[in-house]
Amino acid sequence: MRRDYGCHRLDHELSRRSFVAGTVAGTAGLTSLVSPGQAEVLRKSGKRILQIYLQGGLSQLESWDPKPGTLYGGPFRAITTSVPGVHICELLPHVAQRMHLLSIVRSLNLKTNSHHDGRLFMEMGRRAGVYPYVGAVAAKYLAPPNAALPGYIHVTTRGLTDNTEAFLGARYAQLRLLGPKTPEDMVRPEGISSASANRRDQLRKRLNRRFASGGAQPAYTEAYNATFDMAEKLMLRKKLFEAEPAASDLARYGTHPFARNCLLARSLLKNGATCVKVTHHGYDTHAENFNFHLEQLGEFDRTFCMLLDDLHDSGMLDSTLVMIMSEFGRTPKINQRYGRDHWGTAWSVALGGCGVRPGVVVGATNKLGTEVSDREIDGGHLFHTYFQALGLDSTQNHDLDGRAVPIGDPARAPITELLA
Amino acid sequence: MTDGRVTGPEPPPLPRNPPPPIDVRQTHVVSEFKHDVPLTTCRIAPCGGFVFAGAEDLNVYRWTLTGAQADKTVLSGHTSWVRSLDFSRDGQWLYTGGYDGRIGVWPVAEARPQAAKMIDAHQGWVRWVRVSPDGRLLASCGNDNLVKIWSLPQGDLLRQFEGHERYPYAVVFHPDGRRIVSFDLMGVIKEWEIDSGKQLHSLEAKFMWGFDQKFRADMGGARDMRFSSDGKILAVAGLSDVKNAFAGVHKPMILLVDWSQQKHLHKLTADSFSGLAWGVRFHPQGFIVGVGAPQGGNKGMLWFWKSGEEKPFHSVTLSHCGRGIDLTPDARRVAVAQFDGFLRVYQLTQPERQG
Repeated sequence: MRRDYGCHRLDHELSRRSFVAGTVAGTAGLTSLVSPGQAEVLRKSGKRILQIYLQGGLSQLESWDPKPGTLYGGPFRAITTSVPGVHICELLPHVAQRMHLLSIVRSLNLKTNSHHDGRLFMEMGRRAGVYPYVGAVAAKYLAPPNAALPGYIHVTTRGLTDNTEAFLGARYAQLRLLGPKTPEDMVRPEGISSASANRRDQLRKRLNRRFASGGAQPAYTEAYNATFDMAEKLMLRKKLFEAEPAASDLARYGTHPFARNCLLARSLLKNGATCVKVTHHGYDTHAENFNFHLEQLGEFDRTFCMLLDDLHDSGMLDSTLVMIMSEFGRTPKINQRYGRDHWGTAWSVALGGCGVRPGVVVGATNKLGTEVSDREIDGGHLFHTYFQALGLDSTQNHDLDGRAVPIGDPARAPITELLA
Repeated sequence: MTDGRVTGPEPPPLPRNPPPPIDVRQTHVVSEFKHDVPLTTCRIAPCGGFVFAGAEDLNVYRWTLTGAQADKTVLSGHTSWVRSLDFSRDGQWLYTGGYDGRIGVWPVAEARPQAAKMIDAHQGWVRWVRVSPDGRLLASCGNDNLVKIWSLPQGDLLRQFEGHERYPYAVVFHPDGRRIVSFDLMGVIKEWEIDSGKQLHSLEAKFMWGFDQKFRADMGGARDMRFSSDGKILAVAGLSDVKNAFAGVHKPMILLVDWSQQKHLHKLTADSFSGLAWGVRFHPQGFIVGVGAPQGGNKGMLWFWKSGEEKPFHSVTLSHCGRGIDLTPDARRVAVAQFDGFLRVYQLTQPERQG
C-alpha cells in the first residue's frame, strides 16, 4: 500500500503561481471566505448538478453551431428549435424541441487541443495548477452533511483516473461507477455478523484517531474514512443498482449503456446525490466523423432528452444545473478520413436548469467556424457561471485551514447573460 | 450546342496509330479537373464523354472528359453532400443520392442541368442509388435502414425492403434484373427478390466490420459494390481488421463473393496499407481495379488484382486519397475522385503517341 495514498496536502497540490495568487487575494482582503452561514444555506438548498460529458470532443458543427453549406460545414443540415431564431444540427431533433430549456455558448476558446488539458480546464476552471473539479466543489458546498449518497458520482463505461478533489480532501472526490451494475464489495462477507462488522469499524476509527493524534497528516486517515463513509452510504442504497429499470423507462431512454447510465443518474439525483456526471464516450472522431456523430448523437439526443424531461416533469430541473460539455470541439477542416481533429479554438457547450436563463445563445463563431467572432469564453468563465447559477459566490475563497484559495479563477467572471 | 443541349460529348479522338494495349504498369495521369473542395465520388456517363463528381459541398459537378477545366458545370439542388451517382441505361439521365435524403434526377447533357425531379426517398441520408439492368427501376438505400425500389422514369415508390438492423451502405441489382443485394454497416449482406419482396438470402461478412471497444462504436459497411457482368461474383469495397475506428486504423479490403454458391471467394487486401477501399471495378480484361485512402498521410492507391489472387499484382501511388473510381466505356482509363479536390483521369496504357 502506498504510504501517501490520499495525501492531498495543500503544499503538494497547489502550483506556486496559484498559491501566491490565492494567498495574495486572501491577505489583501479582496475576497472573502465562504462563511459557515452561507454554506449552511447552500447545503439546505437541495441544488444539484447533472453533468453530461461527451468524451473525446463533440463536434460543434454537428451539434450546437452548425454551418451547413459552408466550406467546412459537413453534410448535416441545421434545424429550427423551440427557440425562434436558434438553429442546431439535425442530429439533435429531440434537443431541438426542448431548446427553450437550454442555452448555448458558441464561443469557447480554450487555447489547447489536448484531451488532458482541455478536460482539466473545463473541470477546474483553471488553465493550469491543481484545483478541484466542478463536482468536488459542488460536493463540498452543496451536499448536505447527512446526504444519503456520496456527493459526487461519476457514471461511465471506462475509467479516467483524475485527481478530482485536489486540496479539498478525499471526502469530495468523485466516486466512479463503471455503469449501472452494483459496485463491487457492497455485501458484507458471509461469516461476519453485523455486530462483528460494527466492532471492526469502531476499532478502525479508534486506530485512525490514534494515528492522527501522533502527528500524521489528517489526509491519510481522511481518505480512508471518506472511502468507508461512501461505501456505507452505497451499501444502504444498493437497491438503486440492483433494480432492473422499468420496461417503460427502457422504451423511452433506450437499452444501450448510455441510456442505462442516464437512468442510474436519474435515480442517484432523486435519491440525494449532489453532482452526477455521466460520460458518453466516442466523440474523438479523427476518422468517419459524420458516421460516428450519427451513431453517438443518435444515442445522446433521445436519451438525454428523456432525462431532461423527467427532471423537468418532476420539478427538479429548477434546482438542477444541467451541463453538456466536452474537453474541446473538433476542427472545422475535414481531414482525408472524413474526420475532424481536436479543436479548442472555437467550439460550444450547452447548459440549462438551475439558475440558467433558458433559450439564450452566448457568443458566436465566424462564418466558417474557424474563430470566435464574438464574446470569447473559456473554462474559467464557465466555472464561475456554474456556481453563480447554483447560488455559490465563486469569487469567494475556499477556506483551507485559514488560507484562502479563490473558488473560481479571479481573472475570470461569470457569463452574466446566462444567469437567470 | 443546339436547343440548350450539348450536342453530345466530344468523342475521344481517333488514334492514327493502333492504340497501345492495356498495361496497368504504365498507368499515368492524362487529365485533371480541379474543384475547390474534396470530392466524394465520381461516375463516367455511359456515352463516355462526361464525368460527374460529388463533393463536400451541396453540388454535383460535370466535366467533359476530353475538355478543359473551364468546362465545369454545376448541378445544384441537393442540400447536403452527394456520394452516389448512376445513369439511366440510355445515358440521358443522372440519378444522385444525397445525404439530404433525396434522389435527384438530372438531364445528363443539358448545358445547364436543372433537377427534373427531387424525390424524398429516405429518412436521413440516401447512401446509394443504382439503376436496374433494364433501366426501368432504381434501387436506393438509406439511414432509415430501408432498401427501396422506384419506377423509372416516373420515380414512384414500388417496393421497400425491411430487414437491415443497421444502415445499409450500398445496394446493387443482380445482372439478371430480378434480384437486388444490399450490404450494411455490420457486414450483413441481404439478397431480395424484387417481384415478391421476399428476402432470398442473408449472409455475413463480419470481418468487414469491427466494434471499437474503447470508443464503443461500430465501423464497417460497403464503400462500393459491383456485380461482375455475368452475375457470378459480387465485389464489395470496404475495410477489415479494425484496430482503432476513430483514428481510421484498419485495413482496406475488397471482398469477392461467389454469388451462385453464396460464399466468400477471395479477400483482396494490400498488406502494407492502412486505410479504406473506396472503389472497385471489374475490368473487362479479367482483373479488378480498386482505389483507396490511407489512415495517415495523403497518398491514395490504385490497386490491380488478377483473378484468383488476393494480393495486388500492381499498385499505383496516387498523389491524394481516392474516394471513388469509374472506368471509361472502353476500359482504357479510370477516373478517380480525390481528396485534394481533383478528379484525375488515369490511362491504363503506355502514353499514346500523338499524330
